[in-house]
Amino acid sequence: MAGALPAYAQLKHYDSDTPSFWKHPPADWFLGDETQAQKGLAPIAQPATPADPADIENNLKKIKLPPGFKIELYASGMPEARQMAWGDDGTLFVGSFGATNVYAVKDEDGKRTVKTILKGLNMPTGVAFENGSLYVVAIDKLLRYDKAEANLDKMPEPVVVYDDMPPYTSHGWKYLADDHKGAFYIPFGPPFNIGIPPTSNAQIRRVNYTNGLAELVAEGVRNSVGGDVDPRSGDYWFTENARDWLSDDTPSDKLNHLAKFGEHFGYPYCHQGDIPDPKFAMGHKCDEFTPPAVKLGAHVAPLGMKFYTGMMFPPEYTDNILIAEHGSWNRHNVQGGRIERVITDPDGKNARQEVFADGWITGPREYWGRPDDIIQMKDGSILVSDDFAGAVYRISYSGS
Amino acid sequence: MTGLCLLAAGQAHAAGDVAAGKEKAEICTPCHGEQTVPDTANVPALAGQNNNYLQWQLIYFREGRRKNEVMSPLAQDLTDKDVRNLGAYFASLPRPPAPTKDLADASLIETGKKAIAGHGCAACHTDTFEGAGAAPAITRQHHDYLIKALTDYRENARPSTGVGAMNDAAASLTDSDIKAIAAYLETYK
Repeated sequence: MAGALPAYAQLKHYDSDTPSFWKHPPADWFLGDETQAQKGLAPIAQPATPADPADIENNLKKIKLPPGFKIELYASGMPEARQMAWGDDGTLFVGSFGATNVYAVKDEDGKRTVKTILKGLNMPTGVAFENGSLYVVAIDKLLRYDKAEANLDKMPEPVVVYDDMPPYTSHGWKYLADDHKGAFYIPFGPPFNIGIPPTSNAQIRRVNYTNGLAELVAEGVRNSVGGDVDPRSGDYWFTENARDWLSDDTPSDKLNHLAKFGEHFGYPYCHQGDIPDPKFAMGHKCDEFTPPAVKLGAHVAPLGMKFYTGMMFPPEYTDNILIAEHGSWNRHNVQGGRIERVITDPDGKNARQEVFADGWITGPREYWGRPDDIIQMKDGSILVSDDFAGAVYRISYSGS
Repeated sequence: MTGLCLLAAGQAHAAGDVAAGKEKAEICTPCHGEQTVPDTANVPALAGQNNNYLQWQLIYFREGRRKNEVMSPLAQDLTDKDVRNLGAYFASLPRPPAPTKDLADASLIETGKKAIAGHGCAACHTDTFEGAGAAPAITRQHHDYLIKALTDYRENARPSTGVGAMNDAAASLTDSDIKAIAAYLETYK
């Protein structure tokens, strides 16, 4: 069966513009705009078990890095590992996609142990840590667990900090971008591939986690699962997954710069800054909207990202953006499955990208792992989480 | 909840050990049978089933996300490696023949055929319902098992991969839809 796409007779089509669709989408809701050219493509099956450390070590030999850099396994055995956050005492908290878990990784003299500290949450993909508390964002709740690091074996009942959120699971999994000024930027994806979004969707909010008040800061955003604040300007930058079922090579996924609150990034009317949607442009022109700072490539699936601010990597990496690209499903030959480096001025000028770490793709539609988030360690190395292999890797630099 | 129909051409993951799986599976055959559909209506045939799907069910039982009197305690002692080995072993077997006894009448089967077309099951399970990627084969099971499975999905009594794909798929099924679909799949050739 390898390489062959399943043949089913009809092209899928759904009207995704009804509340009943958003609340109870059909099981194949993402196939609803299928075209003949891309017929048969569907998301890659998730392995049921995380990868064996021995297999990971073997697969890490496939990763290509610039000279002087190396990658190693940091921790494994975390099914569907997603966003990472550091506790004050050096605990690494890790969210998960469908596994319902939050993990805690502790380092005792170089040996890492992994604990599942929370279970049963509804897609707890985003985590953050502030004032001694672990924050977890599920589909429609921002939760706070107090004194988390002292209570890993018996986590307290969470406090619901914010839940003015729609219940839709499609594109509803979230990320917490900490602005370290008392708020998280939180994305809200539309409950379908393309359509007129219901209110409260296709947007980003800045949520104050102390008083639970939220500002609407960006609109016209499709599926964003990563972002970080530029230390130079204080501006929020974020990745965005563009629509499917246009073609293998369009539209491009995006790196966006929120220069001021209230910008509209085009969805559903316009893609990648210059492609009006064939059905949903509805008279709008692309120049009404904010184009991407960088077109990252079609179907690369950029997710977690961070501005590099450490002292370990060479100085030319300072204030660069490192982006984890999860890799395609809606493309015959998948691409992404790597870490991209973006060099850009704070205002978005002179932005360019290059591959930083490559080699998670092993065939036309085959992965051994799929990176999804990046976080810096105190020593200036970076950690990369991988939800396909259920592991976290460390990339370090030791000189030319 | 939403659904994600997951299809993969293959994954660069360590393959399970079929021989080790066969040894571990000795405890399974009394209930699940080996090449045939088991005698107990509520027990599924596993031979030739989708590897990824089987692994996920064992994980669900072990994690307590799917509960069954017999399977839950059995799954507790399984390591991840056991899970992969068992998946590989059962997937390596030929599919069992379709049930031949206690079949429904032609009109119910015809109703089931229309219901399946209307609900787009082939989109994930393929036109011959052999399954692909994460979607299992759904033919050659006793209708009682299929009725139980679809009802459990609809009632959220069992989880599904693909962000709850089967929970979403089953949400709109009536009891008579389920009965008809089960009758059709049982006799599908």
